[in-house]
Amino acid sequence: MTVQRTLEVWKLGIVKYLDALKLQEKLLLDRKIGRVSDLVLSLQHPPTYTLGKRKTDHNLLIPESDLKSLGAELHYTERGGDITFHGPRQAILYPIFSLREIGFGARKYVEGLESVMIEVASMHGVKARPGDKGETGVWVGERKIGAIGVRISSGITTHGLAFNIDNDLSWYENIVPCGIEGKGVTSLRREVTGELPSDDVIHDQLIQCLARIFRFSDAQIKHDLPVL
Amino acid sequence: MASKFWASSAANALKISCSGTKISAFPALSRCFSSVLDGLKYTKSHEWVKHEGSVATVGITDHAQGHLGEVVFVELPEKGVAVTQGKGFGAVESVKATSDINCPISGEVIDVNTKLTETPGLINSSPYEDGWMIKVKPSSPSDLDSLLDSSSYTKHCEEEDAAH
Repeated sequence: MTVQRTLEVWKLGIVKYLDALKLQEKLLLDRKIGRVSDLVLSLQHPPTYTLGKRKTDHNLLIPESDLKSLGAELHYTERGGDITFHGPRQAILYPIFSLREIGFGARKYVEGLESVMIEVASMHGVKARPGDKGETGVWVGERKIGAIGVRISSGITTHGLAFNIDNDLSWYENIVPCGIEGKGVTSLRREVTGELPSDDVIHDQLIQCLARIFRFSDAQIKHDLPVL
Repeated sequence: MASKFWASSAANALKISCSGTKISAFPALSRCFSSVLDGLKYTKSHEWVKHEGSVATVGITDHAQGHLGEVVFVELPEKGVAVTQGKGFGAVESVKATSDINCPISGEVIDVNTKLTETPGLINSSPYEDGWMIKVKPSSPSDLDSLLDSSSYTKHCEEEDAAH
């Protein structure tokens, strides 16, 4: 007998980082007590730099005050991983999953997120690969197309993945992305000759791969979303 | 690559019955088994506690470190801080994931393994010895009664791994 597990999808559009973080904190508590089932937030952020738990701000190459004048925010978070950038035209998925219910540990969960992005890249003819040891993420050659940063609290996940569709890559020049020197960043747009579908379609592709890789029977879009 | 993920799934499926087997039973194959030590108590969230008189040493299990991947950062409380059974007291980071660690018992932190700052990988290489995380003065020895012994913990690991 297969248990039917539905992935609930929250499509949020462009959301400020702190608003998305507040929502995740609430959903983390809700998931812990079983008030919600496994779900994923699908969104994009306005220009935002974020740091992880290790606070590796030596990888920010310009003063914080300069960021503000460029129109970007900076946030320190509890997620794993180094410094990164989020912006329009970059697809973000924040799965709120109970890993204990699927018997996954951190490593297997992160490998799953890498696979999601690798599969979507492949749908567009782009051969991507997971990072080498210590370089978690998704790469096309020596260029990073997808980043991961996750927090696991009592077995429930927050934060997640960021996949570059056609975001402005010049924002990355102000940081050492993910703390890895000497390697570049890229986007689906850079790697694909020819037309790309709309961002909505690519978000949906990521969600479908997420559902399949994490063994959901189906994915359902949630209506009546809260106002953020 | 997607194939690497499925391959590692298959490898884990083959290891289902091995996970949590006590190391003394199958010494020749001990490398592919998660080890569980007698004499320690365990939580369902994969922490262990070694109670010796008025001091309890806490860490995470071999099963936990295997599922985390290589630990690159450890966040621990300071001495003197109060810890509560079932509540988070620190975190580890591996593969870009920070994972909260929950305390098996309540009490006061009396020592912290500062070696983990420089060498967080001790948690992977020696989860029950050099990778210890904190020492606690227990406030309520009956906390230990609600924890799992080595056989129950082994069974718990097997059930968890079999769930996928």
